[in-house]
Amino acid sequence: MKNDDFKLEQGIVTATKDVFSTMVMMELEDGCPVVGKGGEIQSNISSMLGLGGDVRGILAIHCPADVARGITGAFIGMEVEALNDDVKDAIGELANMIAGNLKIHLAAFDMDVKLAIPTSVIGESYHASGLFGACRIAVPFVSTDGPFWIELKYMLNG
Amino acid sequence: MGKNVLLVDDSSTMRKIIGRSLRQAGIEFDNIFEAGDGLEALAVLEKEKVDIVLSDINMPNMDGISFLREKANRSNIKNIPVLMISTETGDDIIGEAKSLGAVGSIKKPFTPDKVNEILGPLL
Repeated sequence: MKNDDFKLEQGIVTATKDVFSTMVMMELEDGCPVVGKGGEIQSNISSMLGLGGDVRGILAIHCPADVARGITGAFIGMEVEALNDDVKDAIGELANMIAGNLKIHLAAFDMDVKLAIPTSVIGESYHASGLFGACRIAVPFVSTDGPFWIELKYMLNG
Repeated sequence: MGKNVLLVDDSSTMRKIIGRSLRQAGIEFDNIFEAGDGLEALAVLEKEKVDIVLSDINMPNMDGISFLREKANRSNIKNIPVLMISTETGDDIIGEAKSLGAVGSIKKPFTPDKVNEILGPLL
């Protein structure tokens, strides 16, 4: 089965916009999805969530520091000055809800997906790798605080 | 005498958001207790007077389903109603939660209006 068969790019866009408009009170603009390698991602915090079941992989949200602080501030309703535990927790919870929405999207294609608990990392320079041979989709978004990315690396089971 | 609520979620951010949504929905509680997982939630229920629990499902240490199962085995707390608030919406998981005593579920993401619509009639 190919990406096109279950509209993953559109699923990521819809899932992400719904979470941000409902919980962060922020409307997003989506950019052109990158399928496969490529697409420069600038990030100081990444929150990742494991997927299991019919789709095995990782969904991640990658944000530059200023964007992560702005999104967290809008989410929790107070100014955030540093990349602290509140930011890690908030961005992780956003990843969790986006994955939850994507799970519902995939359920419409008879795909049963299990979700793990999110993990967040902060740093100036890091690279996350894994899932050799996995497919990759990276979707850029622009928020009122700047750009961030949703990245899905996945393999189909069965 | 007013009512007390227990919010169970491993995300402290989400506990704040749920508390804020309750206020925005016009639902007032005398006390809002918090727990980071099912184990902490059981400890709060054994110690405090709680009228309703709002609980996540996917949590470390003890998840929401295990929490419901353990709570059902404790005669002193088993009748306290639990409303699930989770990204999980599948009939299998929500059905299992309801079979263990959950009185309903709210899907994340949610609006204050949705919280009011589902929680309001339970109070």
